[in-house]
Amino acid sequence: MDWKCAKCDVELKPKKTLFSYLGNTFSHEVPVCPQCGEVFIPPELAEGRMAEVEEQLEDK
Amino acid sequence: MQQSEITAYAERCFGGEPASCSYACPFNLDIRTFLERVSRGRWKQAYKSLRNAVVFPTVVAELCPAPCRGRCQRETLGDAPLDLSAIEHAVVRYTPDRRGEQYALPPKQGSVAVVGAGLAGLAAALGLAQKKYTVTVFEREASWGGALREHEHYERFDEDIRLQFAFDMPEFRYNTEITSLDELRDFDAVFVATGDGGVDFGLTPTFDPKLRNSADARVFFGGGVIGDDAIASLASAADSARMIEVFLQTGKASETYGGYDKRDCGHYVDHAGEPKKPLIVAASPDGYTEDETRAEAARCMQCDCRKCLASCEMLEKYRKLPTKIASEVYTDSGAAPPYSTHMITRETYSCLDCGYCGSVCPEGVDSGEILHLSRVQRAEDGVAPAALHDFWLREMAHATTDAAYVSAGRGKSTCEYVFFPGCQLGAMDTRHVTESYEWLACNFDCGVMLGCCGAPAYWAGRMDLFNDNISSIRSTWETLGRPTFVVACATCERMFRDATPDIAVVTLYELMAERKFIPLSTVNCQLSTVFDPCAAREDTAMRTAVRTLASGAGIALEELQNQGKCCGNGGHIRAANRELFEQMSQNRADESPLPYIVYCANCRDVFDERGKSCAHILDVLFGITPEKAPLIGEKRRNRMEVSRMLREKIEGGNAPAADVPHDAIELVIAPELAEEIDRKLIGSDEMREAIYLAERGGAKFIDADGVCQCSLVKSALTYWVRYKPLGDGRFEIVSAYYHRMRIARED
Repeated sequence: MDWKCAKCDVELKPKKTLFSYLGNTFSHEVPVCPQCGEVFIPPELAEGRMAEVEEQLEDK
Repeated sequence: MQQSEITAYAERCFGGEPASCSYACPFNLDIRTFLERVSRGRWKQAYKSLRNAVVFPTVVAELCPAPCRGRCQRETLGDAPLDLSAIEHAVVRYTPDRRGEQYALPPKQGSVAVVGAGLAGLAAALGLAQKKYTVTVFEREASWGGALREHEHYERFDEDIRLQFAFDMPEFRYNTEITSLDELRDFDAVFVATGDGGVDFGLTPTFDPKLRNSADARVFFGGGVIGDDAIASLASAADSARMIEVFLQTGKASETYGGYDKRDCGHYVDHAGEPKKPLIVAASPDGYTEDETRAEAARCMQCDCRKCLASCEMLEKYRKLPTKIASEVYTDSGAAPPYSTHMITRETYSCLDCGYCGSVCPEGVDSGEILHLSRVQRAEDGVAPAALHDFWLREMAHATTDAAYVSAGRGKSTCEYVFFPGCQLGAMDTRHVTESYEWLACNFDCGVMLGCCGAPAYWAGRMDLFNDNISSIRSTWETLGRPTFVVACATCERMFRDATPDIAVVTLYELMAERKFIPLSTVNCQLSTVFDPCAAREDTAMRTAVRTLASGAGIALEELQNQGKCCGNGGHIRAANRELFEQMSQNRADESPLPYIVYCANCRDVFDERGKSCAHILDVLFGITPEKAPLIGEKRRNRMEVSRMLREKIEGGNAPAADVPHDAIELVIAPELAEEIDRKLIGSDEMREAIYLAERGGAKFIDADGVCQCSLVKSALTYWVRYKPLGDGRFEIVSAYYHRMRIARED
């Protein structure tokens, strides 16, 4: 992992994280600062899988 | 939401109803489908649809007077109607296996006596035998056929009858005359079809034409004995068989739906542009060849109204008529996920709500109105995907708060007119508002009201926000002494016209045309076309004024073919269906190769994005060279600037620019990237604010090259910005994106 949390100066670690949208909750492993818990979302995830899931839920 | 309320919107739609010819058909044959099958040479399927409707196809091909021909819409083009009889004959001829349908059903309880083996008796006997009831036919003569036996083609009829009974032959008792119902006391039901003047057991005076029976409930009648001719006998015998079945199952006769409840659809489709096609005449006296039959059937125009689908990319994509949309909107209103789900969310939020489909509909049915009900219902129920309209609602909030300004004019508390330029005009170009106001203030007792008509809330289905905004506008209007609104945007006009009909509204363009505005520069006969905004479709005065002004400025005008379609901005569908938005806006840009003159800031913005040469009429009038449309951040800044400039002009002194802390952040961004981010509806303000917060100690990530990443949550969206600090408060943008789902920061 190339990215670090700038505040804590520690490398990010993958961690199961909860997401919610339109009343649905689900978990996905994403890079998170192990110290402060800040979640990091890269563009390929936001505009890829996340956008797909968002669209599916909107269509439900 | 009441079902009656929603279906009322679509009830005048006749798309999908039987064609006019089918209404005229005694058998309610679906002539469209039949002819479509024939035209493709599908003899077996065509024969099947014919046989299922008429029972004995050979008999009907010969005897039916084809009243459908009197309702054939080919005649509206001056063509001869289709020759149904010749086609039916040909279908019979080219179908190799004409035996009746073979039904795999278990035998049913119930016995029926059919008295008379003429057409009516045979048809009813066949229908009931195919349903596996025990049927016994009593015939006075030595064979079936009744009055048909006298016909010159009886041999062919006889063959047809035998073929239809191929798999379900009831018991025939010939040479058996029934003179009293007592003889039939063991049967559960009796069908009397003894022909014209035949025995009726004294019951025909009590014949009930709806239930097809008589004072003796188990005794049904059909054919010549009740006055039917051959064709009516056949058509009604099928109904009688259905009634008898209901009687056998329930013990009483009751009405079943046997056909259309009206004899004339009352609707002819507009066939303008349809090529004429003359009647195919058979080369041989034996009738049509296969090719001739197919060619004759292909003359059928498949009359069915699909005007709305053909008029709109969205309706075309989802292929749903207003009736279907209405029924799905109603179903959606009761959806309770996860057990039942919404069916038409994407369509609901993909509608431009421009009213074009309603304008082409012969009955004025507007699918947009139906889908708008759905948007409102979802917003009320809290199930609307907020992210789809979040951006525009924030733009509206910006226009009605930070960038709002009201004044009756210098030193005045009331005014006769008030200029309401709308939220986009000044955002696109400050001069459009400031120069217009300058002119208005010189010519009229005119104040100014900067705000938003509420269209973003209306399109989001947020009628709470819409009504609050309208109330606020009304109260300002009262304070200003009820002035006439001068609008520069057709959508503002539409919203005011519908929501506040008592407020007088005039367009800026009408006033300018009326006062013979002298353009600040003129061009020499540049050929252009006016692209009318969808909301001006019914506003002749506005459309005429803009043309007068454009011509006055030296522009030669050529009219568009398809006027009145929305540029793509209507309904704010971009976040819900970007692909469709781009397709629609590109199609509108391609309507003409000529440059467009528009008078809606949104049209200008949309066409600029498509690279279409386009000028706002105010560019033309004020001698402004149209520049590239501003990006989101610049639009907001322009809005603020208009507010500041007008305040300064009216109140005098120097109105200070609003102090926004994150304005200190200077973004460095490649032009192409800036446009790409803008198309995602991410403004520079969101990027600045995110960086500002991250750089002041907020959450931030950094990679080995010093590239940083941070996020900002704004109502329904989470924005992310990847950037490189360049020093001196400058930041180079690497990328910006957003997601709609929320992160729960603990697991």
